[in-house]
Amino acid sequence: MDKQTEINIELKTISPFLANMKKVNVFQIPENYFSDLDAKILTNIFLQRDEKYHLQKVPKGYFESLSDQIISRIKEEKTGSAADEIKSISPALFYLKEEPVFAVPHDYFDDLSDQILDKIKGEKAKVISISSARKWWKYTAAAVVAGAVTVSSLQLFHHNSVSENPKETITASATIPGYIQQSSKYKTPEELKAGIASLNDEEIVNYLESTGSILDEETITKNLDTKELPDENDYLIDENTLNKFLNSDAQSLNKNTQ
Amino acid sequence: MTEILNDQELLALYKDPATKEQGFTGIIKKYQEKLYWHIRRMVITHEDADDVLQNMFIKVWKGLENFREDSQLYTWLYRIATNESLTFLSQQKKRNSVSLSDDENGLSNKLKSDTHFDANKLEWKLQLAIQSLPEKQRLVFNLRYYDEMPYEEMSHVLETSEGALKASYHHAAKKIENFILNN
Repeated sequence: MDKQTEINIELKTISPFLANMKKVNVFQIPENYFSDLDAKILTNIFLQRDEKYHLQKVPKGYFESLSDQIISRIKEEKTGSAADEIKSISPALFYLKEEPVFAVPHDYFDDLSDQILDKIKGEKAKVISISSARKWWKYTAAAVVAGAVTVSSLQLFHHNSVSENPKETITASATIPGYIQQSSKYKTPEELKAGIASLNDEEIVNYLESTGSILDEETITKNLDTKELPDENDYLIDENTLNKFLNSDAQSLNKNTQ
Repeated sequence: MTEILNDQELLALYKDPATKEQGFTGIIKKYQEKLYWHIRRMVITHEDADDVLQNMFIKVWKGLENFREDSQLYTWLYRIATNESLTFLSQQKKRNSVSLSDDENGLSNKLKSDTHFDANKLEWKLQLAIQSLPEKQRLVFNLRYYDEMPYEEMSHVLETSEGALKASYHHAAKKIENFILNN
């Protein structure tokens, strides 16, 4: 008598009701559960910390023939996804892909974009285009020189009108700084503007460095012409935008100096 | 083609370091479904069965080195699966602070929470009836009724005499019949 028949007879003896009942499996399982199970188990074994076993040693000649084997398998198999490909080559590698190895601080990616934008805004305050720099330096230099000229002119006028002593006049002239003596030859605002335009960058920088103050910084910030700078969104999206801008600006600078 | 290898051939593959994984994979593929369903009928949900099954095979990997071939691989695997299932249920009881008498209600609730559960269908009533049995009786009934395991093999799995197993099966079947007819 076979095993199944023996068991059926036994159950009929105990409970005919149960023996006549159809065996129905009520439990559901995920599709393809069993097809991947062996790979999942091997991956778990491989990841066990207390497991000192290293996967089997590589057979001789393995790597020499590996590329040919992979190429022939690729040719045999239909074109599939990258996931299907690695799964077919190494199920363990397929499942290991999901294992995290690099730790990332909590909420790192949530705050990242804000941090980057803050840094960019901070850097933007320091980025000053060459042509804009030239302009505000000129404006600032013009304001300071105009102020100095005005003051010195008034002083000269005062000295000239008050003192009839030529010696006193000469003495006063001798104490007046060179730039003020120079600036006294500009009688009109147009002459003054032309005079400032003739200054080169080095002269302006030297002047401002020797006489610069916090007030100048405030003037600089107010007079920053950001219109010519690319929009931050442009160079955030396209890193070439800023390069193009800087290159075009360098070209125009070269033209001016020739 | 490891599916058609017998237990001795699979064990030989496992014991050779060059083919250890191949042998182990062969054992998994040969017994995974039987062992899964044996565990599933004890722990009810797929997620729990998957956990128990994977833990069970990890123990098999470690224990196969010392497996003495005087007993069958099949019964040895079933014993590990049974012990892992009982350990899991015991841990669940402690976690949920559920007393032994309430354990059946816990598993019955898991059955009832299954999306396909239908109290009017005979197959679901049978499952509820099986969950109403004590653990050992439940095991005996499942192994005999679903797995059609001979008492001789069952005695190795459950480490109980054949006579005790026959009596246990008899009582289990009667209880189940009464449960279904009265509910």
